[in-house]
Amino acid sequence: MHEQPVKTAKSFVAGWIFLASIVTGTLLESAESESNLTAAKLPKSFDVTFKEFKLNNGLRIILAEDHSAPTYSICVTYNVGSRDERPGRTGFAHLFEHMLFQGSENVGKGEHFILVQNNGGSANGTTNPDRTNYFETLPANQLELGIFLEADRMRALNITQPNLDNQRQTVQEERRQNIDNRPYGRTHEAVIATAYANFAYQHSVMGSMEDLNAATVQDAADFFRIYYAPNNAVLSLVGDFQMDVALSLIKKYFESIPAQPPPPIPDVAEPEQKTERRKVIEDAFAQAPRLDIVYKIPTGNTPDWYALSVLGQVLSGGVSSRLYQKLIKDKEVALSVSAGPDERRGPSLFWFSITARPGSDLAALEKMVYEDIERLQNEQIADWELSKVQMQLRRQRAQQHYSTRTRANAFGHYAVYYNDPQLINSVQQKYSQVSKSDLQRVARTYLKETQRTVVTTVPKPAAAKAALDNR
Amino acid sequence: MRRKAPIRYSACIFACLVFGAAFLGRNLPLLKAQESIETPASKVERKNKAPLSREVLQVKLPKPVEAKLQNGLTLLILEDHRTPSVFAQLHISGAGALFEPPSMTGLANATAQMLREGTQSRTSLQIAEEIDRLGATLGAAGSFGSSKVVFSASGLSDNFGSWFALAVDVLLNPSFPREELEKLKQRQRAQLRQQRSAANFLVNERFNRAVYGDHPAATVSPTVESLDALTQEALMKWYRERYAPQNALLAIAGDVRAQELIPRLEKWFAGWQRNDVKRTWPPNPVAATSRKIYLVHRPNSVQTTVTLGNIAIERRSPDYIPMVVMNHILGGGVSGRLFLNLREEKGYTYGVYSDFSALRYPGPWRAGGNMRTEVTSGALVEFFKEIGRIRDQTVPPAELEDSKRAIAARFALSLEQPAAILGLAASRVQFRLPEDYWDTYPAKIMAVTAEDVQRVARKYLDPDTMQLVAVGDGLKIQSVLEPYGPVEVYDSSGKLTSSSNSSKIP
Repeated sequence: MHEQPVKTAKSFVAGWIFLASIVTGTLLESAESESNLTAAKLPKSFDVTFKEFKLNNGLRIILAEDHSAPTYSICVTYNVGSRDERPGRTGFAHLFEHMLFQGSENVGKGEHFILVQNNGGSANGTTNPDRTNYFETLPANQLELGIFLEADRMRALNITQPNLDNQRQTVQEERRQNIDNRPYGRTHEAVIATAYANFAYQHSVMGSMEDLNAATVQDAADFFRIYYAPNNAVLSLVGDFQMDVALSLIKKYFESIPAQPPPPIPDVAEPEQKTERRKVIEDAFAQAPRLDIVYKIPTGNTPDWYALSVLGQVLSGGVSSRLYQKLIKDKEVALSVSAGPDERRGPSLFWFSITARPGSDLAALEKMVYEDIERLQNEQIADWELSKVQMQLRRQRAQQHYSTRTRANAFGHYAVYYNDPQLINSVQQKYSQVSKSDLQRVARTYLKETQRTVVTTVPKPAAAKAALDNR
Repeated sequence: MRRKAPIRYSACIFACLVFGAAFLGRNLPLLKAQESIETPASKVERKNKAPLSREVLQVKLPKPVEAKLQNGLTLLILEDHRTPSVFAQLHISGAGALFEPPSMTGLANATAQMLREGTQSRTSLQIAEEIDRLGATLGAAGSFGSSKVVFSASGLSDNFGSWFALAVDVLLNPSFPREELEKLKQRQRAQLRQQRSAANFLVNERFNRAVYGDHPAATVSPTVESLDALTQEALMKWYRERYAPQNALLAIAGDVRAQELIPRLEKWFAGWQRNDVKRTWPPNPVAATSRKIYLVHRPNSVQTTVTLGNIAIERRSPDYIPMVVMNHILGGGVSGRLFLNLREEKGYTYGVYSDFSALRYPGPWRAGGNMRTEVTSGALVEFFKEIGRIRDQTVPPAELEDSKRAIAARFALSLEQPAAILGLAASRVQFRLPEDYWDTYPAKIMAVTAEDVQRVARKYLDPDTMQLVAVGDGLKIQSVLEPYGPVEVYDSSGKLTSSSNSSKIP
C-alpha cells in the first residue's frame, strides 16, 4: 500500500465493491475468466506460457517472456497477510510492508522508490488478509535493478526504531485517509468483525491505532525472520527478457539467502454460524444509508466459489444486471449496488453492498434483495444471462493481459493461494464449467438466513450538529 | 503510477530528491510547526549501490494510421493484435460543459449520458442487455471544465462489428426519452448530496472556484436548479447543434485491421452530417493576484485536506516542457521533494503530490494531500518551504538529471497499453502539436536546464498569490490558517459562513 491508496491492502472487498458498482460491472481482480463459447467461435487465445524453477533455498520462480513491449514486471509474493497477525498486533503485516521501503544493506531509506522512478519505472506493495506482494515495472534494460532491489531487502532488511516510528505515522495517516476520514470508511471493518468469529479474518488489514502504536522493533525483526524467507515467497517475472539471463541474475542475488523453518500455518476455520447477525453503525460523514449483507461461503478456487462469482455478476455486473435494473433504475431506491464473493484462502464472504438513496426505507430495500435471492433459489437464470457473464469475463481478462504487472501479480496470487500458477490460464475453464443448476444450488446452499450478517451504516447528523453546538 | 491522490489532473509526471537549506517563501509568516512530537531521525538516504543501466531506453512509439472520413471525422487507428480486445474513444469537441449556458450546468454531461437511454429503435433496457450480452462496455461523459464530451466503447474483437454498430446507433440515433431523462435527473439529484460527504469533492469545489473565478471551469457540479432546468428539448438542441463530425476525433486501438476498418467506418458514419456550429471559447482564466485562504468546515474530520496553487499554463505554452520537469522535481511522485519531505521524513501524510492541468486554456498548478489535523500547521510550513526552495535555489545538477531521466525513461512503459499510445497520439492531434512531438519529446525534456526550472517555478508558483483551500475541522485549524491571509469560511454544503479574519465558526 504504498504510493497509492488505490490498492487492495486494507479492504480488498470494499475496493472491489466500489468498482463493481459502476456501470460496466467490473469484476474483482482475481475473477478473471473466459467465455464458454465453443472453441471455434473464439478467434484468439491469449494464454500465457511460463516456466517454473525452484532455488535450493526454496524460492519459487515463475518466468514468462513477452517481447511485445520493452518492459517487464517483477513481483515477489510472500505467504503472509493479516491473518497471520496475533491479537494486540492488528495491522502489523501491512505496517511491515511499509518497512520494506525503508532500506536494506545496499539500498538507503526511500531509495527504492527513487531508483525505480528515476529509471522510468513504478513500484508498490500491497497487503491483504492472505498475502503480501511487492512489485516493480521497469524498462527492459533495467532487468538487474528490479531483481537486485527485491533480493536486497529479502536478504538484509534494515529495521530501525526511527524508521518504524516514521512509517507507523504514515500508516496511521493511511488509515485516517482511507477509513476514519471517509464516508463508509468503517463499514468494512464492522462487517468482518461481525461476520467472522475467528480472529484471523475478523480484524482488518489496516488494524487499530492502538495496536499500530504497540508494534516494536523486535516484532518487526521476528516477523522478518519468520515470514520473509525465500521458502515462503514466490518470485514472478513477466516481460521482455531472456529466460536464461533472468534466471542467472535471480540466482546471483537470491541464492545466498538462507531458508528458514516453515512458518506456522494460521487456523482460519470458522465455527458454524447458527443464526443471523445484525449490526447498526453510525457514520459521521455519510449522507445516505448503506446496507451490507454478507453470507459465509467457501474458500476461493472451489467450484462453488466460481459459481458464486458468476452469480454476483448476474446480480450486479453491468447495467442490465438484475439488481442494477431493479434498485437503481426501476424502483429508484439505491445509488449504487454490488454483489459478489471476496476471495480468501479460507472461509470467504458473498457480499452485497448497496448505498441507498437518501430517505429510502432500508427495511424495504433489504426485503427487495431477499426477493432476488429467493428468485435465484427458486428458478434457474436465463441462458442469455449465463452467456453474458462468460462474455464479460472473457473481455475483462483479455484487457487485463496487456499489463505485465497484472500477469506477474496473478502468478504470485495463484501460486501462494492455491499452489497452482497454471490457474492464470485454466481459470477460464473453471468459470465455463459453471452451469445454471450450479447457480441455483449455490444460491440455496449458501445464501441462507442462518449464514447471514447484516450491517447497516446510517448517517449521523446528530453527531455533526453536536460538534458544532459544543463550540 | 496511477495513484489516486487527492489531486487528479491531466498532465502529471514524476520526480526526484535532495535536501537543502530551508527557505520560506517571501513575506510568509515564520511559523513553527505547532507540533514537534516527532523530530525525524528517519532520513532519506542514497547508497548508490544498485546495478543500473545508464542508458535511457530509446523507444519509438508505434504510429497510428490517420485518416479523415468524408464528413470530416478524424480517425486514429492503432493496430495491436496481442489480445482480442478493441477500444474506441470518440472525442467531440465543442459539445463539452465549457460551452454550457450558466443556467444549465450539467447539460453536456446529461446529454452524453442520455445517449444510451434510448434510440429510435431500442429502449434503454435493450441497449443495456445487448451491450452486456456482447461483453462490451459503452459510456459517455462530459466532465466539467472540458471542451468536449468523450464517448467510449470497448469489447472483444470476436464480435467487434456487433458492438460497434450498436455504439454507432446510440451515438447517431438517440431519442432522449422523457421518462429516462427524469430518472437520470433523479439519480443525479441524489448524487448532489452524496458527493458532499467526501473531503476531495469539497476541496475541488472550492479550489476550482478560487482559481477559475468567472471561467466556466470554476464549476465542478450541477445544482438542484440547473438539473431542474434540463429538458428533453434542451438536450436535443444541444445534441443537434454540438455533436458535429468535423469537430470530432475517433481513436481506435486493438485487434482491428485499419485498411479494412476505414471503409466500414465510412458506411457506419455516413448519416452523421457536418453542421456549421461555432465554438466560441470563453475568455481565458487569469491567475489570482493575491493570496487567499478558503476553509471548508467539515465536522468530525480527523485530517485536513489541503490544496494550494494558482492558474499556470495552457498546453501549447512554450513553458510546458520545463513545467513538466519542475513539477516532477517538486511533487510529481513518490520521489518528489514533497513526498520525501512530508511523508518519508515528517510522517505527516500518506501521500502528497503536485500536478498541473494544461488544456486549450490555462489551468492551475496545484499541490496537496491529506494530513492529520494536528500537523496542519507544520505541513503548511513545509509546502511553502519547498515552493520557496524551488524558486530561490537552482536545482542541483544531479537532481535535475535524475528527474529528466525519469521522465524520458518512463516513456517505455506506455508501450504496454495500446490505449496509452493512442492517448498520446490523440492529444497531439487535439492540441495541434507537431507531427514529431512525441518522437522528440525525450530530447526536449533532456534539454531543460536548471535555469528553465527556476524560471517557471518563479513565474507560476508565486506564494504571494496562491489560493489555499483547507477542508477539515474548522474549529481546530482556522487559527492555523489565519496567519497566511484573509480566510473565507464555508460549510460543507458550500455556503459561505464568514469572510473576515476575526470571524469564528458558528
